[in-house]
Amino acid sequence: MDDMRLTERALDAGTTKIMARGVQVFYGDTHALRDVDVDILDRTVTAFIGPSGCGKSTFLRCLNRMNDTIPVCRVEGTITLDGEDIYDRRVDPVQLRAKVGMVFQKPNPFPKSIYDNVAYGPRIHGLTRNKAELDGVVEQSLRRAALWNEVKDRLHAPGTGLSGGQQQRLCIARAIATSPEVLLMDEPCSALDPIATAQVEELIDELRANFSVVIVTHSMQQAARVSQRTAFFHLGNLVEYGETGQIFTTPRDPRTESYISGRIG
Amino acid sequence: MTDASAIRPGIRASLMTPDTRTRRRNAAEARFRLYGRIAIAIGLAALVVLMGSVLANGLGSFRQSFLTLEVHLDEKVLDKSGARDPEAMKKVTTIGYGKIVDAALKATIAAEGIVVEGLTDKDVSDMISKEAAALVRNRVLADPALVGQTVAFKVLANGRIDGYLKGRVTMDSAERDSNVSPRQLELADALVARGILAKSFNAGFITGPDASELRPEAAGMGIAILGSAYMMLVVLFLSLPIGVAASIYLEEFAPKNRFTDLIEVNISNLAAVPSIVFGILGLAIFINFAHLPQSAPVVGGLVLTLMTLPTVIISTRAALRAVPPSIRDAALGIGASKMQAIFHHVLPLAAPGILTGMIIGLAQALGETAPLLLIGMVAFVRDYPGGLFDPATALPVQVYNWTQRADPAFVERASGAIIVLMVFLLAMNMAAIVLRRRFERRW
Repeated sequence: MDDMRLTERALDAGTTKIMARGVQVFYGDTHALRDVDVDILDRTVTAFIGPSGCGKSTFLRCLNRMNDTIPVCRVEGTITLDGEDIYDRRVDPVQLRAKVGMVFQKPNPFPKSIYDNVAYGPRIHGLTRNKAELDGVVEQSLRRAALWNEVKDRLHAPGTGLSGGQQQRLCIARAIATSPEVLLMDEPCSALDPIATAQVEELIDELRANFSVVIVTHSMQQAARVSQRTAFFHLGNLVEYGETGQIFTTPRDPRTESYISGRIG
Repeated sequence: MTDASAIRPGIRASLMTPDTRTRRRNAAEARFRLYGRIAIAIGLAALVVLMGSVLANGLGSFRQSFLTLEVHLDEKVLDKSGARDPEAMKKVTTIGYGKIVDAALKATIAAEGIVVEGLTDKDVSDMISKEAAALVRNRVLADPALVGQTVAFKVLANGRIDGYLKGRVTMDSAERDSNVSPRQLELADALVARGILAKSFNAGFITGPDASELRPEAAGMGIAILGSAYMMLVVLFLSLPIGVAASIYLEEFAPKNRFTDLIEVNISNLAAVPSIVFGILGLAIFINFAHLPQSAPVVGGLVLTLMTLPTVIISTRAALRAVPPSIRDAALGIGASKMQAIFHHVLPLAAPGILTGMIIGLAQALGETAPLLLIGMVAFVRDYPGGLFDPATALPVQVYNWTQRADPAFVERASGAIIVLMVFLLAMNMAAIVLRRRFERRW
């Protein structure tokens, strides 16, 4: 199986953005993730699929060191971003997270105005020199998140007053306002209705032009619709990783096939 | 498929008639509701009785009997040299002024043509509070030009006469009382009829200093209010920053290990330590070891801070824990540092809870008596404290003090002070509610 993955990698057209080798994650005594090797490509949407508790969210949270906030969590192996080890002692997770943004499962806008939600990242990272520039960043981010037309007249209304789908797009705008290089999305549509889901999926496809997007999803249709590459996790193992089309049409591992056809879950 | 009726036979009864099981469950619920109502009724009744008795006893203290007298400030008595030199005039004590006031009342009685059988000079002079001479003396020393003139003064009547006007002293009780005679009460009736003796609002009760056992009519709680206010300032400015900083550290930064567990358990235990223990601690540390002055609001404030801290820490931690973790994740996910996430997002959301806890802690500290007794705030203080290091007393201690005194007039004073204390507590709780409403946000 390893051989197959190696040949696949050789075929990759894009450049590698994030490279994970031999990643192990432990929660206390529980071995949550075993020996994961993944290359995440630049300007590509990568989907992580798998049944609940398979470790896909855990792995996603390793990529911007959000697992650091969980005291019992321990990560082994190497993960590099543009060739730099993100778990090196010299790396400040705060700087890393400015480069690797994250959107969560449940929309979690700050209980502040729409403008302040988007402006928060640029403000704390000192990305803009004056109000006009900040206004520009806010507008651009909201436009990219396909939210600008809906909120441009009420930028100072509370972000928590928006609908669920709008809130999630606001969170995406907030994440891209810091100009990250990678955007991690942890089941971004699980709390949304089908219309809002479609909007967010369309948005993810557009974001591919500028970012490398990694999305964890429970919906295989969604993975098939938005991603170019898919990784299938099962019981803490990375079972199969490859082109989305190949994973869904000709999976090489029987477990992948069972999951995709709905026999295990 | 299993047959449902096989499991529960006889369940096919009509919906219109409840079965015994349902009836029993409903009856149990009705009983439970009744118990709840009874408990609340008992609580409310106790509250009404308490408030009623405090108000009935204490409201009188806000109104006091005053005599309006035309006092002739005789130059021969008050300033023999005639130089109007305040230093020389200070040699005349309140005894000299007392005679002048007595003379003024006697003159008034004569002028009004009041005749009371067997009335002695002592009876007349005892109508007036001992405080009256001091009042007149202070006015004259402040303005020596008044000497030689006849000036109208509103002076306090004696506590027993005040009690008679308020119904506490009657002709019967006066017969048996060595401090007041029925003749004086007759005279009081006559003076009331002529408008010379009347009750009016007594600002001195709220602003004035305490008075000795012999003149309850002059006792006030100004120093106690000031002392309590100083202490609350100390408590606010120490326990809020210390408590909030400690809570943030413990809740957000501290590693979870045996040592922090121990600290947590101890903080919870400290909240349950009897307050008098804090008083002993304050006596040992602040007065005997640090040599801070006794009876000073700064020491009282420090002791109450120690006592309030556990309350503040516990409520602040609860408020911090109540902020949803998604807000923290959101901030960290954008690349905020832990401290930025806390100060920009978590703390503003926790603020209403923290403020409420702080105000509840302050209210608790305001009503605390036992530790203050130990650090000497029970002392009799006549001079207004100029700062945190001057002797003062505190409201609840003043209440305690007054209830210890023999004269029944002090019962009224104590209840009046309780009313003031409760007004402050009520105001603080209202402030807590208003702040919580104002800052409450949804997420």
